[in-house]
Amino acid sequence: MSKPLIVEHLTKSYGPGSLAVDDVSFEVKQGEFVAIIGPSGAGKSTILRCINRMVEPSDGRILFEGNDISHVQGKKLRDARRRIGMIFQHYNLVYRLTVMQNVMHGRLGYMSTMDGILNRYKEEDKEKALKLLNKVGLLEYMYKRASELSGGQKQRVGIVRALMQEPSLLLCDEPIASLDPNSSKVIMDLIYELTKEWNISCIVNLHQVHVAKEYATRIIGIRQGKLVFDGPPSELTNVMIEEIYNTSMENLMINGEVRAVG
Amino acid sequence: MADKQKHLPLVDGGEKKMVTIAFFVMLALFTAATAYTQFNPFTILKEQSTFWNFITQDFLPPDIAKAKGLWSAMLQTLGMALAATFIASCLAFVFAFLGSGTTAPYPWLSKIIRAVGSFTRNIPALVWSFILVMAFGIGTSVGLIALTVETFGFLLRAFIETIDEVGSESLEALNACGADYFQKLAQCVIPAAIPGYISWFLYCIEVNIRSSTIVGMVGGGGVGLVLMIYIKSFKYHVAGAIILAIAAVVILVDLTTNWLRKRVLV
Repeated sequence: MSKPLIVEHLTKSYGPGSLAVDDVSFEVKQGEFVAIIGPSGAGKSTILRCINRMVEPSDGRILFEGNDISHVQGKKLRDARRRIGMIFQHYNLVYRLTVMQNVMHGRLGYMSTMDGILNRYKEEDKEKALKLLNKVGLLEYMYKRASELSGGQKQRVGIVRALMQEPSLLLCDEPIASLDPNSSKVIMDLIYELTKEWNISCIVNLHQVHVAKEYATRIIGIRQGKLVFDGPPSELTNVMIEEIYNTSMENLMINGEVRAVG
Repeated sequence: MADKQKHLPLVDGGEKKMVTIAFFVMLALFTAATAYTQFNPFTILKEQSTFWNFITQDFLPPDIAKAKGLWSAMLQTLGMALAATFIASCLAFVFAFLGSGTTAPYPWLSKIIRAVGSFTRNIPALVWSFILVMAFGIGTSVGLIALTVETFGFLLRAFIETIDEVGSESLEALNACGADYFQKLAQCVIPAAIPGYISWFLYCIEVNIRSSTIVGMVGGGGVGLVLMIYIKSFKYHVAGAIILAIAAVVILVDLTTNWLRKRVLV
C-alpha cells in the first residue's frame, strides 16, 4: 500500500453548466505532505471534501487504501472515514463540551452506537489522548470547555481529535486561515511533525503560497476546478504561480513575500 | 452663513418615505378597528367610578378564610402545569430530531411533523379544553391533556429551531470521524442544544402556570375552576382572595425560574 489515495477523473458539478471540480486526477503516496493551492472558489475545498465524501462526487473514482470508496454507503463509508482525519478552518468543535470530550470524538468511528452515546471510551484510548494533548501543550486544559480556548488552541484540539482516529490520511482544509502568524506556525509545525512521526499522508489546502513551499513535499495547483500544476515545490516557479492565480506577480506580493490570498 | 448650511440626510430618502407611509397605514388601521368594534377609549376614563366601586366594594377586602379548597386546588393547577410541560417536552425532544433539517433522517417525515406541531400549537389550550370537556367532562385530566397538546406544539417548534441553530460545522466534524446517527445526536446535537432546551422548558412552565388557571376556568379543574365557582355564585370577596393568591404563586414561579435560568445556563 504505497499509494493510500488515488483520485481519478474527479468531477463535481453543482447544477448544469457549472463545474466546481473538473476532471482532477492525482495520487498521494504514504507519508507524503501535499499542499493544494489556488484562488478562492477554485474548488480546493470541494476536492478535499470529495475524498472523504462530505461532498458527493458527480463523476470519477476515489481509491482509498485500495478500495473504491466513491459510492460506498452506511457502515462502509464510516469505516473509510474513520481512517481519514480532517482538520477544519473553523475548528468545528462542539464548544459546550470539554477539550477531552471533543478529542475522544475521534474514536466514535471505532465504537458501537451505544458505547459512543454513553461515553464508554476505552481507558487506553483516553491515555493516548492525554499523551497527545501533552504533546500539543494542552494537557492542563483537558477539562476546560472548548469555547474557552483561543483560536490556536482550538485548532490544536482539532489536530488531536483527528489523530485519535489513527488515520492513514489527514485532510486539512485551510487549517491556518483564521489564525495569527504565530499560531499559524505552531499549527503547521505540529501537523508537519506529527504526520511525519506517524507516517500519515497529508493533504493541506492553503491560502499562502510561501507556507505551501516551506512545508509541502509536493504542490498541486488548482484553477477553476482544473488541475494546472502537480510537482515538487522547486518546480513551482513564479510563472507557474501567475498561471495558477491568473494574475501577475506584483498583485500577489506583500513586502516581497508571496502571500497569494486564495 | 450658518443657516445656509445644506442638510445632509443620514438615511436614504426612500426609506424615510416608507416609514411615513407605514405610520399612516397603522393609524388608519387603528381608527378602522376602533370604529368597527365601537370601542371608545374615553369610556374607561368617563366610567372609572363604576369600575373602582366594583373593585373596592365587591372585591375588597379579600376573604381568604372562606376560600375552601383553595390550596389543594392551587396544587392541582401547579401539578397540571408542571406535568403538562414535562410530558410535552419529552415528546418534543424526540420529535424535534425528526423535524429539524439538520437531523431529519427523512425530509417527508420532517414536513409531517412540522405540520402536526403547527396544528397543535395554533389551536389554543383554551379551545382544546372546550373540545375535551365536551368529550370527557370536567376534570384535571382534561386540563392536563389540553395543556400538553398546546405545549407540545410550541416546544416542538422551539426545539426544532434550537437544533437548527446548532449549525452544521461540528456535525461535519463528527461525520468526518465516522460517527453514526445516534452518536452524532448524543455527542454533538444534544450538548450544543441543551441551553436552548432548558430555556424553552422554563419558559413553558411560566406560561403554563398561567394558562392552567384559565384552562381550569372552562372545566379543566384546579384553582381556575374554584375561582369560577366563586365568581358565578357572586362571592366576590373570596374570588378576590383567590385572584391575589394566583398572582402571588405566578410571581413566585417566575422568580424561581429566573433564578434557575441564571444558575443553570452559564
